Amino acid sequence: MKKARFASAVAAATLCIAVAGSAIGSAHAEDLKIGALFPLSGPNSAYGDIFASGANLAAQHVNADNMLGGRLTIEYEDSQALPQPAVVGMTKLIEVSQVPYVLSAFTGVSKAISTLAQRSETVAVNGGGVGPDLAKLGPYFWNVIPLANLEVRAMVPYLADQGLKKVALVYVDDPLGQSILDELKATLPDVGGELVDAMSVPTNTQNFSGIAAKVRSAGADVVYIASYGAQQVQIAKQLRDNGVEAQFASYSGFSVPEAMKLPEADGLLFTTQAVDYTSSDPVTKRFVTDYEASHHRMPSAYVANYYNAVRLFALLAHALEEKGEPVTGANLLAQRKATKSFDLVGGTVSFQDNGTLLAPIQVNRVEKGAPVALTTVSIQ
Amino acid sequence: MQAYLLNLGVLISIYSILAITLNFIMGYAGIFSLAHAVFFGVGAYTGALVAMSLSASIFVTVPIAMVVAGVLSLALALPALRVRGEYFVAASLGLQVLAVTVFSEWKSVTGGIGGLIGIPPVDLVGYQIYRPAAFFPLSLAVLVLVLVATRLLVHSSFGRSLTAIRDSESAAESFGKNVPLIKTISVVISAALAAIAGVLYAHYLAFINVESFTLDTSVLVMAMVIIGGTGTAAGPVVGAALLLLLPGLLSYMSFLPQTQIGAIQQIIYGLGMAVLMIFRPGGLVGRSKAKARTRPKDPDTEAQAPASRPAEAAR
Amino acid sequence: MLWLQLTFTGLQVGALYALTAAGFSLIFGATRVFHFAHGAAFVLAAYVFYWAETSGLGMVAGIVLAALAAMAFGVAMDRLVYAPIQRHEGSFFTVFVASFGIGIAVQNVLGMVFGRSFVTISTGLSRSVKLMDGVYVSPLAWIAVACAGLFFVALLLFLNRTHVGMALRALADSPELIRAYGLDPRRLSSIAFALGSLLVVPSAVITALGSGLNPTLGHHVMLISLAATIVGGIGSIGGALVAGFILGLAENLALVVFESQWTEAVTFAILFLVILLRPAGLFGRHATR
Repeated sequence: MKKARFASAVAAATLCIAVAGSAIGSAHAEDLKIGALFPLSGPNSAYGDIFASGANLAAQHVNADNMLGGRLTIEYEDSQALPQPAVVGMTKLIEVSQVPYVLSAFTGVSKAISTLAQRSETVAVNGGGVGPDLAKLGPYFWNVIPLANLEVRAMVPYLADQGLKKVALVYVDDPLGQSILDELKATLPDVGGELVDAMSVPTNTQNFSGIAAKVRSAGADVVYIASYGAQQVQIAKQLRDNGVEAQFASYSGFSVPEAMKLPEADGLLFTTQAVDYTSSDPVTKRFVTDYEASHHRMPSAYVANYYNAVRLFALLAHALEEKGEPVTGANLLAQRKATKSFDLVGGTVSFQDNGTLLAPIQVNRVEKGAPVALTTVSIQ
Repeated sequence: MQAYLLNLGVLISIYSILAITLNFIMGYAGIFSLAHAVFFGVGAYTGALVAMSLSASIFVTVPIAMVVAGVLSLALALPALRVRGEYFVAASLGLQVLAVTVFSEWKSVTGGIGGLIGIPPVDLVGYQIYRPAAFFPLSLAVLVLVLVATRLLVHSSFGRSLTAIRDSESAAESFGKNVPLIKTISVVISAALAAIAGVLYAHYLAFINVESFTLDTSVLVMAMVIIGGTGTAAGPVVGAALLLLLPGLLSYMSFLPQTQIGAIQQIIYGLGMAVLMIFRPGGLVGRSKAKARTRPKDPDTEAQAPASRPAEAAR
Repeated sequence: MLWLQLTFTGLQVGALYALTAAGFSLIFGATRVFHFAHGAAFVLAAYVFYWAETSGLGMVAGIVLAALAAMAFGVAMDRLVYAPIQRHEGSFFTVFVASFGIGIAVQNVLGMVFGRSFVTISTGLSRSVKLMDGVYVSPLAWIAVACAGLFFVALLLFLNRTHVGMALRALADSPELIRAYGLDPRRLSSIAFALGSLLVVPSAVITALGSGLNPTLGHHVMLISLAATIVGGIGSIGGALVAGFILGLAENLALVVFESQWTEAVTFAILFLVILLRPAGLFGRHATR
């Protein structure tokens, strides 16, 4: 009797999947769907909300303009910013929804899904992770964000110009943190700087009063913080609380409102991809105006990146539809290689051969909870 | 669609192997370990490294991974011999946290948080197996083998010794059973078999990092065993299937707000665990209450299940 | 000077660990329920305090509401989750899985309500004051240590001087005795949960003011409470308290020698060794076998 109950449960479950699957399959043929693997639960889910706000706005604009034959929708899967849920979600996007294009975020997630992307010829686009490894994940993995090594190369000379030469690094113990450590070690001597101490922290630590004591005893001019989300904010707050007076510096991971709102973050310097929000080009203008109207704040670089990722898809798919070619991952890749430059938010940009966007970097300072751009550095 | 189901099938097979091997020590030897993900991880890392540097043949990777995990499991056997009940749980918890630190810090071997990327597909007598359609039969076959092996063990004289120890250690001892040896062997077998799941997992995802082998995984596997039914043959498989299908099914509920779906899934998952335990504490395929009551009680069993004491108080 | 600073930091962290551990130890000692959702009570109390603070109710009201929320949660867990499971003679692990599940649910509900990112309350109390060259201590640190002392004394008096307290201590060992004295074990169990959950409130409030909150915080709190309970010896609340301080100090002093990612390993290596070498804990009343 128990066996029968189990069998019927399995049958019911299978039926559910089948029904749901066919419901999706019967959507309008000309409509286009892309996938997104964002952390929607767990400690990094704040990023998921921000990424999605950019992607959704882009889809809204694409649909309002009737850029594509049908409507563009985005299907979200929760990656929790972890590899295994990401692989499960990616498989669902590829096999069930059969999307040609997936928005990805976070270095670990991106690396985990890159093999699936290659095998299934699905384009995966990263607009959030900045680990330099992301440039090496094959032709189907693109980055619409300049990677962290470029950010450090822009920040270090700026710090040196300000007379901030003794750097202490607090970095998260993962590929991103590691790459920032390597890049600081490599670039600081060129400008007469010095890495006085480097302290790594595990990804899940919340209390940094001990780290603060070590930072203080290192006697640095500037503390470079390289972590994500909640942890990054806590590091900044707790260092200040525990008597660290030195200048703070960080990378684009700091460009989330939660981080900049923090009183302790006032005056912090951080790099982002240079996006000129005041630019008069229509794409940027419309993006900034509509984003501010619906979210009541300035968009961050992440919002722009995922807006760009979706817009990039629409531009490529539009070109393919014009030519009468199906919108598949392989065709999207060929079309991207055939196109010299794209009009995206922040200006006209081009891709390197490895699928990574080449963009100038700007140095910002947090002032009263909002970023103020100080200078823009072009990197070759 | 089909590939998606096959993909889930592969994951269910792999986690079933983990749940079955955990059930082997939990259900039959009374060793409640919160460190099972450690041996999953040891198997995965060993399998991946062997496949990347030596040979991806399943007949090379699996035996090596089993030996490594078996040897390392002695670290878990040690406290199992000294303490029981909640003390052993805490010891295994300590081992789990230590192992996670080693997995994420021994960067030259494990790649740290960045993990190992580009693990080659399974090589089965010359065939490269990675597509879900080919991998599913393989993982299913391995699952059946593990299931049969543990069944045989449970019903052998070794298995009877195990249950004797679980029910009353002192009685088993007085019957001349070598309790420490039997316990150690059961832990080694469980860990070595769990390592097979690790090898499959590494090949299938082609990417592994420490995040797949944390305490959360250990708890997930334990939940699979308990929700399915501790000490039953089918329970662990049912539990694994249920807990892996649940998030998949929930993500089809399109009426839920997209960006909250992750949180809602987790809430349903968490509450589901609690509700199941309230209404079916013996698990889905567990023994009926009446039978559980008639089980003979002696002081040893009491010590193993301390939570039953206030239950008496409540009656 | 570094080690002196780290000693102070360790004491503050240790005081917070000690209080939550004492709460877990009280519950576990009296009812033998492996209350994994103790961490959830902590985060819940912290967020209620945060909510009261940010909506202008003031700090005192915030603390009171946080205390009520934590106690209500503890008692609800006992009545609605643990009691039914125990009626079915659920094993130690059945309780564990149910408790763990509730912990996940609470974490995600809080994430949906308050947002999943980090929140903090701005206060001058977390700002460190220079004690001497290279040693900074925040007012919160003193408050934390004072709270630990105060609550410990109050708890000791309660457990040793009142009838209910003494009955609580006897609950785990001999529920028959309790019944013989005409007391209701069910009610005592709820009292244990209410008190144990109340003990998370000082650390929850201090954490909200000091290092800030995020819904996933409960996990770490729980692991540390469990480790401190075992290291201190099950059934010994004083032991849990001392062990909490030891773990806080060890975690911070380890920074002198190790990189910070090893500090958690240090904590659990201590736990592992204590179990192997002194299974009854440092202050345990009896060994397991």
